[in-house]
Amino acid sequence: MNKNGTDIQFAVIGSAGDGTIAAGDILKRAMAGLGYKVIAFDIYPAEIRGFGKCISRVRITTEQAYSLKRHSDVLISLDDSYAIPHVGEVRDYGAVIYESSPIARLPEGGHMTAHVKPSQLPYGMQVRSISERVTASARSRNIVVLGYLAGLYGIDPQAFREIIADKFRTKAQAVTVQNTAAFDAGYEVGQSVFKLDDVQLGPPVRKGDSGKVTMMTGNGAVVRGCIDAGLDTFFGYPITPATTILERLAAELPKHGGRVLQTEDEISAIAATIGAGYTGARAATATSGPGLALMTEMLGLGVMGEVPSVVFVSQRGGPSTGMPTKTEQSDLNLAVFGGAGDAQRIVLAPTNVEGCYRTAGKAFEMAEKYQTPVVVLLDLYLSNRYETVIPPDANPFAPNLNKGLDAWRGDGEYPRFADTDDHISPRALPGEEGGMHTVTGLEHNQLGKPSDAPENHLAMNAKRHRKLDGALSHPDFTICKRFGDEGPVDVGILGWGSTFGEILEAMFAAQDEGIRCSAMKVVMLSPLPKERIVAFMDDCGTVLVPELNYEGQFANLISGALGRPVTKLTRSTGAPMQVEEILAEIRRLAQAKAA
Amino acid sequence: MGEAIHNVIIGNGSAGNGAAITLRERDPDCRITIITMGSLPFYNRYDLPRVFRGCYDWREILVHPLSYYDDHSITLRRNSRVTDVDARSRTITFAHNEVMHYDRLLVCAGGQGYLPEELSDYRGLMSGFGSFEAAMTTYKALPAGGTLVMLGGDMIGLDLARTLIDTGYRVVLLTNEYTFWPHRIAEDERDGFIQALGHMGIEVVDGVHPVAVEEGEAGKPARRVIFDDGGDVQGDVVMPSYGLVPTAEFMLGSGVDIERGLLVDPMLHTTDKNIWAAGDVCQIWSAEDNAYRFYYGWNNVRLMGEMAARNVTGANEAFEGLEDERLRIDKKGHIASPFWEH
Repeated sequence: MNKNGTDIQFAVIGSAGDGTIAAGDILKRAMAGLGYKVIAFDIYPAEIRGFGKCISRVRITTEQAYSLKRHSDVLISLDDSYAIPHVGEVRDYGAVIYESSPIARLPEGGHMTAHVKPSQLPYGMQVRSISERVTASARSRNIVVLGYLAGLYGIDPQAFREIIADKFRTKAQAVTVQNTAAFDAGYEVGQSVFKLDDVQLGPPVRKGDSGKVTMMTGNGAVVRGCIDAGLDTFFGYPITPATTILERLAAELPKHGGRVLQTEDEISAIAATIGAGYTGARAATATSGPGLALMTEMLGLGVMGEVPSVVFVSQRGGPSTGMPTKTEQSDLNLAVFGGAGDAQRIVLAPTNVEGCYRTAGKAFEMAEKYQTPVVVLLDLYLSNRYETVIPPDANPFAPNLNKGLDAWRGDGEYPRFADTDDHISPRALPGEEGGMHTVTGLEHNQLGKPSDAPENHLAMNAKRHRKLDGALSHPDFTICKRFGDEGPVDVGILGWGSTFGEILEAMFAAQDEGIRCSAMKVVMLSPLPKERIVAFMDDCGTVLVPELNYEGQFANLISGALGRPVTKLTRSTGAPMQVEEILAEIRRLAQAKAA
Repeated sequence: MGEAIHNVIIGNGSAGNGAAITLRERDPDCRITIITMGSLPFYNRYDLPRVFRGCYDWREILVHPLSYYDDHSITLRRNSRVTDVDARSRTITFAHNEVMHYDRLLVCAGGQGYLPEELSDYRGLMSGFGSFEAAMTTYKALPAGGTLVMLGGDMIGLDLARTLIDTGYRVVLLTNEYTFWPHRIAEDERDGFIQALGHMGIEVVDGVHPVAVEEGEAGKPARRVIFDDGGDVQGDVVMPSYGLVPTAEFMLGSGVDIERGLLVDPMLHTTDKNIWAAGDVCQIWSAEDNAYRFYYGWNNVRLMGEMAARNVTGANEAFEGLEDERLRIDKKGHIASPFWEH
């Protein structure tokens, strides 16, 4: 990827309170504004402020990239004690920028210069003293170092000044003035430095799009998708890493006529969501694994009552409270199977930020059309990851797909749960004339009245499952997609969720090495698009399933549902999977097949 | 098992690196740390004129592959300026406030370009050539076919001058007592060597005394050197070339004897039992001259580094210097110096 264009990854590392994440934010927004494609991901401690490591990684490219890189090109240390362990991630002939005049006495090995490898280029600068000289405070060190970066690599300073002004627009004017001065002072120093590394910034390729391009996180894209899909009511209870969905909707949804309520817990949130869905509103909630565990009983009610609802689940390290600020893909089992009885629901897993937007909106269409809960599986890596996206010119989401009472105008009592050709029943909303019916968590007949007759339970189970098959051909939505070589290949890679970016990068690298391989992303995890996955697997000499959990939950889902063997590549360290790990496994499998 | 002996070498030039590899050969288990103010691994400074022959990548002038340091377990500390050495506690302090312990210290810090005090106010208007970065900056400042005005003309500068002439530039040399430094030229031989410079294509201006450097007027070369008699010479770049002075400020207060450089005995041992010195930074006692003297040039300083390392590890060898240090005129009528052989 990006052999001829710009492909630079910056890593800003510091302590909580250093402005590490803010520096990364300004950097990525400035670069996006200049017309580069951006993928960015922040890592921060569970604690709120004052201690703990923060990392903001920003990859800018001119060609489309799909993940962060294992090796950064430039590391910026705002706190050597946290940055030193990461020096090894800087590639050969890359740059390490650090404070050259720390105020504290350091023991041997306590300074960055003790750790920069001969193949890396060290750039020391007096960050603190410049900040103090220009702003009378050390708080602008992060801005000073951004200026240095811009000066060193010849990046248009105006792009940064505009973002700085925007970032501090709600503060006193003096704050913007001081931070701009801090940036300019760093820029002047950076310009005067002789650049020794081989990090090269070329011009953006698609500058013409830069006016339309916007930066979004996965959660930000979910919010945008919700609003464009006509979300009416959102109920939420804060939990990392889903909280920002609640926060952003609280700020934005009322402007669009919607409502947000923070409930007392997750059970209340899902109950209210299902209640709102029952009334015909497009309703949603958002949570993480521990919250989803609490919601599973109510999801069963949604399945049994055939009530539309959307649940966004941003996964984090588990089980239990687990690792709130670390990423993992370990709630697949819970999302697909969690709950009592045969409670199949639609489960979708976008693979990138643009996918988060589209999936969020389509989730409401599907919930409404197929009268079911829809779970959208995100994870911390995807929720917090920034990417440049170009919003669609027109709203791509249908405003109303409810199969209403008009679809049934028969005689007699209204059969709310009537089986039909597509197994979707005409759905009356409360208050509609002639639509009186019963909804219950008990098994029921077509009228909604409780019934535990064996033939009824069998028929209703079949109806509730079969109606979801329609989702496999839901219009304008990619339930799965194949990339790479066509026809028979040596290695196929099946992926889901945020890991698919790394899978794509690894697949492209393997192709460059002459390995015939393909990758398929599976966005719809339930119901599983079995036929297309089987067709893909038929083409593959061997199938690799990389994912961020210990057990290999997706691999188990595939091999269990299809009876096909796959090779698992699992990792549960709390960090995203590395492209190189996947590539190494592709190589190994290709060599084994050749042997 | 005790901790490995920590040998710290201040200086990343010929002497320091000669010392490092000798230490490694003689003590496979010791710790070796090389400290340098520079940003790059060890490169041959005599190769710097190559920037005018299209060598713009510092990797092309490295003496060793980058894996060398790992392969030989040598730690390289770049961008690290030593501000203080405490011989009693055997610690060094860096400008970045870090303190490092050493068991044995080899000071191979070399020298830095000398600039007469009357010209020090004009430092910002003059170009250097003491590092890859400075060399590239000078290269970029000098337009194709442009003029470099060289003040003094030590052997390092003259090495650059002959490359510039070969590559189509003009060199104007303002000679003085530093011309041909560190060679000591007999008065009756001087005119012959000055003539040889002319044969090499260098435009020699003898007998003037520069007192100021100014920016050139619009439409004229970027620099103007003004003489004490009111005369001047114009060029695109002005470069002082007055020889080297030892880089030894950080050793003041360390407890070792210092004159202009660190004073060492013929075994390159300073007056502190744990500190040795080698290269341009030290003055070696010469019984023959009954004085401390400097030895210069790539081969001399490398030899010193290696010898100091052998003595650090138990040998007792005396440094005598290379036999032939004379400036000569070759068959073409050009200057030839052993200091250019490396």
